[in-house]
Amino acid sequence: MRAEVLELALIAGALTYLWRYLPLRANLSDTAPNGLLARFLAATGPAAIATLFVAEMLPLLQAPLAQQGRVVVGVLAVLAAYAWRRSVVFATLAGACACGAAAALGLS
Amino acid sequence: MGAKGRLTGKGPDEYRLTMMQQKSPALAGLQAVLPLVLGYFPIAFSFGVAATRSGLTGAEAICLSLIVFAGASQFLAIALIAGGAPVLVAGLTLAAMNLRHVLYGPTLLQKAGADRATRLGWLWAFALTDEVFGAALGALVKGQRFSEGFMLILGFGAYAAWLAGTAAGAWAGGGALDGWPAVSAGLDFMLPALFLALLLSILSGKQVPVILIAAAATVAGTWFGSATLGLFAGMIAGAVTGVSWPSRETSHAG
Repeated sequence: MRAEVLELALIAGALTYLWRYLPLRANLSDTAPNGLLARFLAATGPAAIATLFVAEMLPLLQAPLAQQGRVVVGVLAVLAAYAWRRSVVFATLAGACACGAAAALGLS
Repeated sequence: MGAKGRLTGKGPDEYRLTMMQQKSPALAGLQAVLPLVLGYFPIAFSFGVAATRSGLTGAEAICLSLIVFAGASQFLAIALIAGGAPVLVAGLTLAAMNLRHVLYGPTLLQKAGADRATRLGWLWAFALTDEVFGAALGALVKGQRFSEGFMLILGFGAYAAWLAGTAAGAWAGGGALDGWPAVSAGLDFMLPALFLALLLSILSGKQVPVILIAAAATVAGTWFGSATLGLFAGMIAGAVTGVSWPSRETSHAG
């Protein structure tokens, strides 16, 4: 193994760990339920997941138009599967399978 | 419906909430980690394949997954290594890409309310990735009580799947998916599908403004800046929208 790869992993890994751990040490127990910080943090969850979904979708939607059909099929499959079973597992697998099937059928 | 639900006269929603709150941390953690395992393994497999295709050894690919455990930045690491970027610059770039994770712990603890606990936070924080955060939040919104055991099972279950997928991909080698374009397309869509499903699981009408603003800011930040700027812009803009919206609109938001 090259030393520079290990060094890179250690720098990125250590700092990423600090981003995840240090904020846990902040004492939020006396935060007012409807205070600014509480509302900021409550909105962060939906905002973060929406952001990550859009960030994952953008590269797929920048592909040639002919390839976007399978993405549309995948999104529709996730929506339909979640509406049917209310299961994150089922919806995720249904979306990936539908996207792959659409690619196999020529939407790629 | 069980006896307790009948005896206490709870409605269906209250009963479901009560049952979720009573579920053991281990069972709840295993239930919540399943979609992460199913999503993480193929994505990590893709990472292992991409890493070996770009000239990394299997050991180097596994080393990145073992130490960094942050999917998107690991894919970027492949490009930086292959491009010959200086180690310090590359390391700081990857860390900057993950700076958004500072919001995750406090958000979960705020949602945990009286159940908040951080005695083992030094351990479960290691595995607080985007997907683990999303799954934990989704479970809490559905009524699961926060516990450190739940977080450990969720986080390290996902970590095990990530490591196993990386090892399998590295073992399969760089050309593993060349003859399987449909499988490759399905794998590429696994993470978007997971995030969409997680979003649906916490969605309510009250959060629509937050989600729309976050989405728009992500597109704008990515379009006018970079993918990393888009991530920051989306999260911050959405959270600020939650603050500026009337409090009754976001007080129950995830």
